[in-house]
Amino acid sequence: MAHSLQFPPPATMAGSGLFLASIPVLLIGVALAAGLRTNRARGLAALSSQAVAMILVIASLVPVLLGDGPLEVIWAWPAPIERIAFRVDALGAFFLVWSLPMTFLGTLYSLGYLQPYFDHGRNGGPHFALLNMTSLSFVLIYSVQNALVFLLGWEIAAVAAWLMVIWDYRNQKIRFAGFNYLVSTHVGLFVLVAAFMLLHSYTGSMDFADFGRYLASHPQGQGTLFLLLGISFALKSAFFPFHTWLPRAHSAAPAHVSALMSGVIHKAGLFGFLRFTLLSGQPEAWMGWAVLIFGAASAIFGVLYTATQRDLKRMLGYSSTENVGIAAMAFGVGMLGWAWSEAPLAMLGFGGGLLHILNHALFKCSLFYAAGAIYRATHTIDLERLGGLAKRLPRTAVIFLVGGLAMCALPPFNGFVGEYLVYSALLSRSAPTVEADVVLVCAAAVLAFVGAVGALSVTRAFGLTFLGSPRDPTVRVGEDAPRTMLVPMAVHSVGIVVLGLFPTAALAIIEPVLAELPIASSGPSLGDTLGPVVWACRGLALVLGVAMVVAWRRRAKARESVTWGCGYTAGTARMQYTGSSFSAQFSSLFRPAMPVHTREHLPSEPFPRHASSVSTHHVDAVEQRMFEVIGQGEAFVRDTSSRIPEQPRFAFAAGLLALVIVALVAIGDVL
Amino acid sequence: MSLALDLLALLVMPVVIVGTINRVKARWAGRIGPPIFQLAFDLVRLARKTPVYSSVTTQVFRIGPVVVLVTAIASASIVPLAGTESLLSFSFDFVWFAYLWSLGRVALMLAALDTGSSFEGMGASREATFATLLEPILFLVAGALCLHADVSTFQAALVPRLDDPSSVLMWVAAIGALMIVIQVEAARMPVDDPTTHLELTMVHEVMILDHSGPELAMLQLGAAIKLYVAISVVAMLINPLAGQATLIAAIAHVAICLVIAIVLGMVESLIARLKLRVVPQYIVIGLVAAGAALLSMLGRTGHS
Repeated sequence: MAHSLQFPPPATMAGSGLFLASIPVLLIGVALAAGLRTNRARGLAALSSQAVAMILVIASLVPVLLGDGPLEVIWAWPAPIERIAFRVDALGAFFLVWSLPMTFLGTLYSLGYLQPYFDHGRNGGPHFALLNMTSLSFVLIYSVQNALVFLLGWEIAAVAAWLMVIWDYRNQKIRFAGFNYLVSTHVGLFVLVAAFMLLHSYTGSMDFADFGRYLASHPQGQGTLFLLLGISFALKSAFFPFHTWLPRAHSAAPAHVSALMSGVIHKAGLFGFLRFTLLSGQPEAWMGWAVLIFGAASAIFGVLYTATQRDLKRMLGYSSTENVGIAAMAFGVGMLGWAWSEAPLAMLGFGGGLLHILNHALFKCSLFYAAGAIYRATHTIDLERLGGLAKRLPRTAVIFLVGGLAMCALPPFNGFVGEYLVYSALLSRSAPTVEADVVLVCAAAVLAFVGAVGALSVTRAFGLTFLGSPRDPTVRVGEDAPRTMLVPMAVHSVGIVVLGLFPTAALAIIEPVLAELPIASSGPSLGDTLGPVVWACRGLALVLGVAMVVAWRRRAKARESVTWGCGYTAGTARMQYTGSSFSAQFSSLFRPAMPVHTREHLPSEPFPRHASSVSTHHVDAVEQRMFEVIGQGEAFVRDTSSRIPEQPRFAFAAGLLALVIVALVAIGDVL
Repeated sequence: MSLALDLLALLVMPVVIVGTINRVKARWAGRIGPPIFQLAFDLVRLARKTPVYSSVTTQVFRIGPVVVLVTAIASASIVPLAGTESLLSFSFDFVWFAYLWSLGRVALMLAALDTGSSFEGMGASREATFATLLEPILFLVAGALCLHADVSTFQAALVPRLDDPSSVLMWVAAIGALMIVIQVEAARMPVDDPTTHLELTMVHEVMILDHSGPELAMLQLGAAIKLYVAISVVAMLINPLAGQATLIAAIAHVAICLVIAIVLGMVESLIARLKLRVVPQYIVIGLVAAGAALLSMLGRTGHS
């Protein structure tokens, strides 16, 4: 096994030791979670090992975040790996600092969320072990400098997520969603392997530092690698049009798994993208434009689909595509700023993107947790069947509302400050040409559109779930979330509010990352840019708080009556506005991008004798097209194979011969 | 001085503008019409009443009007209400402005959905749909004006600059787009009819059907403030004295605001409201105008 450990600078030795110690701690947690007798003990083992690992890692990262340079360890290893370099720089530290605590909170949430399964005798050990493995994969992915070990961490994260998604594996739909995810994530893995193999063939090394030296010195080779890495990371983070696996997986998985996948695990794709952007040095302007446009497409399509979903978790899943799109738009502007040597623009772009990633992790986890609490209480997350839950689940309602408002970037919550930085970048007028500035303003308008559609979706989701009267009398509402679920939800909500009013807390871990950009930083810092708007947010929060308290205290005088039915006195709960009707006009405006399948049975006679019905089903345009193409491919294969004559020997022989010749020619070409 | 003028305008002008529009409409209909300050009397009367809450509603219903009013006042601080200087001004404050309006809108829609009434759900759905087309207009216009003037605050951008043909094009397109923003945001004709009696065709009014007493007063005041803020934005663009800290500039601003109110009243008297399914197309006209304002920047060499 390990032959020797080299700690280059003695000053950071203690830090590196602490950091690496988290790996065996997590593995011990895996063993205990798998081996202990009761679910409670298994859960506690996973929780405590994660807590220890989290403290170790964060303690070791403090000097990195204070600007004392990266942690470095080189681990000698038998062939073929030879040496594994661990190097946690500010970028890795930024991701680790919140990924591990959030996984810890997710594990805590799972104790409460899975309790009904445990009561039925289900063994939670493997699940807790997988949560630990997820933490382990973060420690590897965000620190390791060796391509093979990076792929190992990548694969651990992917397989662990798959196994966690199919927790309810007896349900065929859930198995399909899991399989769909598994295939997609491995297509991404193959592309990543291809990129690493290309780099290995150029450099003869598996070390990221060597990759970086090659990329920086061979700008002409960057194009292909940029595309390969880009596709792989886009699949990991579920960018449009590589997102089709995501809504299925998110609606199938247990709530905490959806939360962790959407908020934390898939941020690895964006991390990979940033890591290689930093390694390859100054990008070309086209790369920045490509990332910006790609991100804008993801943001638009992601948010359009949030408007029509019936399934709350599917809607949140699409919103992940939207939010990684917004982060990518920010990084695109940052790359443009770097390409144009406009340091302030680069800072705003990358800083805004990083802040948005952190904000998204916070509000998306809290929203998924709230959705999980709804599921626990009602056993459904179908918007059309819910309603009036604010009275039954008040705590969940507050948490969902705070997360939802943050998700559509409304002040004074954290989503707003992140997007304000992105807007500042897009509207900064620092492009070299007016044309470029005009395009950036258009991108700002796209972001405004995305925000407005997000507001529609959040209003719809919150309004239908928590407000009004219950729509379906067969839905029985149970208890509000138990404490193990409530604590993680509340922690995330507090994070949302705190970062909205005091974003400097987040900037403290973002600014060291920006300091690593090899571009002279001049102009105002991010904190200065945010200064006035943050004070405005605080003022708004204060005034709103006071006004609400005043309004609250007056209510004693009010009278109570029924909702005004516009003269109609026999209204029922079934006559409330529904989710599909709420988004009907909006989706009709964007019909080409949002196909809908309608099944209707309309009345045909003056006195209809049969009940009529209309049902609409919104499908994913990309997935529909994909299945069509696959269907055509199947039909093609079936047709071709049916044409092979009864005695296929000659046909096969001829085919094989042709293949051999082609292969020989190809090999000859290569040699 | 400009601070005092702003506050005075915030207190008086929203009421006066609504009164003026109603007076103009009454004149076109052959009536004398209500007093100019009728809205103020109504607000006082409503504030004294005991509210009635539907038994379906929750706290969201009660908090909604508060948020609407607070965000309307907060957004008023970004715009020079008396044509001189705004209370607050910082880089990209129009982003803050747009998101404040968005917050108020979401609060209003949630309060509407809280009643469980299908009519109010209908209004909320329409409001949300129109807003998705409206938000980009604001950003395109503000972005174009900022790019043209090479400034980054709303108040500095809202000054007429007519130095060459492409600037004139931008000016006209921006004012056209903003007029549509006023009509949608303040729920005026031809997008929405504030005096309609048929719930099925309402947008803004239907969302406040269940509000009564002080809550209704807050919503009406918030709507009036938003209307005046939006009119002020257009007036700044028209006022040749905009941005000067003089009393004449302020008087000119108020006069232009009143003229815009008269124009709005005339439009409402002479034009029927659009069919609801045509409204999105009408807003797209605004989007096109805003796009034209931005595109007129192309072809200019370098920053002016």
